[in-house]
Amino acid sequence: MTGPAEPTVTAAEAIVAPSPPTTVGAAGDSGRKVRRTIGYALLIGYAFLMLIPFLWQLITSFKTNPDALRLTVVPSPFTLQGWQTGFLTLDPSIPQLFLNSVIIAGAVTLTNLVLASTAGYAFARLRFPLREFLFIAVLGTLMIPDQLRFVPVYLIERQLGLITRNPINYVGVVLILAVEAQQLFLMRQYFLSMPRDLEEAAKIDGAGHVTTFLRVMLPLAGPALAAVSILAFQGAWNGFFWPLLILQSQDHWTLPLGLFSFRSEFRTDWPALMSVTVAAILPILAMYVFFQKYFVQSVASSGVKG
Amino acid sequence: MAAVTVGTSSGRSAGRGIRGERRAEMLTGLAFVFIPLLLYVFLYFGAMVYAAYISLWRWGLRGPRAFLGIHNYEQVFGDPIFWKAVTNTLYYVAVWVPLTMALGLFLAVIVNQGLRGQTFFRAAFYFPTLASSAAITVVWIFLLQPDGLFNSARAVAGLNPIFQALGYTDNFNWLGSSRTAMNAIILLNAWTTSGTVMLFYLTFLQQISRDIYEAAAIDGAGAWQTFRRITFPLLRPAHFFVATLLVIGGFKLFDQAIIAGGRGGEPSNSLTTIVLFIYRSAITDSEFGYAAAVGVVLFAIIFTLTLAQRRIFGEAPSW
Repeated sequence: MTGPAEPTVTAAEAIVAPSPPTTVGAAGDSGRKVRRTIGYALLIGYAFLMLIPFLWQLITSFKTNPDALRLTVVPSPFTLQGWQTGFLTLDPSIPQLFLNSVIIAGAVTLTNLVLASTAGYAFARLRFPLREFLFIAVLGTLMIPDQLRFVPVYLIERQLGLITRNPINYVGVVLILAVEAQQLFLMRQYFLSMPRDLEEAAKIDGAGHVTTFLRVMLPLAGPALAAVSILAFQGAWNGFFWPLLILQSQDHWTLPLGLFSFRSEFRTDWPALMSVTVAAILPILAMYVFFQKYFVQSVASSGVKG
Repeated sequence: MAAVTVGTSSGRSAGRGIRGERRAEMLTGLAFVFIPLLLYVFLYFGAMVYAAYISLWRWGLRGPRAFLGIHNYEQVFGDPIFWKAVTNTLYYVAVWVPLTMALGLFLAVIVNQGLRGQTFFRAAFYFPTLASSAAITVVWIFLLQPDGLFNSARAVAGLNPIFQALGYTDNFNWLGSSRTAMNAIILLNAWTTSGTVMLFYLTFLQQISRDIYEAAAIDGAGAWQTFRRITFPLLRPAHFFVATLLVIGGFKLFDQAIIAGGRGGEPSNSLTTIVLFIYRSAITDSEFGYAAAVGVVLFAIIFTLTLAQRRIFGEAPSW
């Protein structure tokens, strides 16, 4: 895992400031030019391959149903039928799914921020018994696959009364995603890389540990907190497995779950279905557009795709 | 550094002395890690032990019904659908992992050439990662249905004769045929994950000193030779890292399988992965003991494979 003080090139830097062309091959200028052109062509082709499905889904959401199956780029007629179905007819409707996703993703982001930063700080800078052992235990959780633990976790939550059609069901999902080892690790790495002078200065001024954390270390951990927020939010927003397992009532479904259920119900109303997928992707896309820098950084510093 | 002005009662170091100071630090530290550790104990380690315990029983919605010992495990190994799930998953991992690695590496090598438009490419390749597995799978289903974009596009491009020769009709239902459903999922996930893999390889590629390439160029090495003899071997830590990540991820295949194939892994269980199988046993059949047993078996498989991978590829690089 790379932290801010790493001397080697992080993926973030690699992408932000690409290395100059490596001189590969002695074939001479023309060979290199051909290679570059092919390279460009391939990259552009692949990039379009990446984007086409999403563009197609956006376009389809504005088509009528029969038109949706045609190979046309421009909807004719251009209609909001699909979106209307999505907002009014579907049950749960797009706004409801959206709200549920916001609630869960928001809560998970909050808990991760609070718990990962405090625990990360403690593991990085506070001395307490068994610290190293406990940290290894935290890392150990990464080795335990969800597939092994979801049956017992489900039963445990059942016994705790969290598997219910009651709104407290949300807690069941949030509890599972509340603080991920990945985020804790990230915060710890970041705190480790901060100079000790800060804490020493605070100590000299008579600050206790909590105050030092809240007034000095935390405010300076901006980039790491941003990374945690993005990873947590994105993971929770897009999450499918745990919400599917834990959420019992259709009214509480998140967008991905809605898509799953609609897929079988609305087999043929593609514009409506596409409108839901667009709604599902839009927030993350918006976040990406505005916070692109932080996204790349968080991928680089986490080293693991959510 | 600006001085921290503390006017609250939390400034304790003055009065208590070193002992008190240490104790305060200890308590704060433990308090800070308490909740996460509590969660981890219950939802990870405790769960693991609990899973093993559950697997020894016939366990329904109302709780344990009968102690079965290892009977669940015997049943698991004798269950043809379990084995179908295992072969499906193994097939998926065996094909998807190398494919995605190759794609990611290929992209990384090209991007590493220092071509312009990096921001655009980076954004484009990372795009699928931003969408949820649900959204992507639904779009994929839409594209691959009999009258979907893929079939229409290949008709327009005049490629149908080739497909017919291979045995695929003009309106072939790619996700509806047990022959091709899993392959369609493999392609979907290879496409989605290639961007992230590209980023990983790019990090490692950037760390290879340019001097090596210059030396190779002086020695008259061609592009492919340089790649095969220098770049590829030097990327060993990267291969290991990516492969481990992908293999573990591959065994977890669930979202796309259930969205495309439904709970039954249609058609005819061709999309039933191990995880989907566990899910079905637990949630649809309410056989929690059985499901737990399969989970334990799955864990054992992943664990063994990770160890084997270490043997084959050598120790993982320490981060």
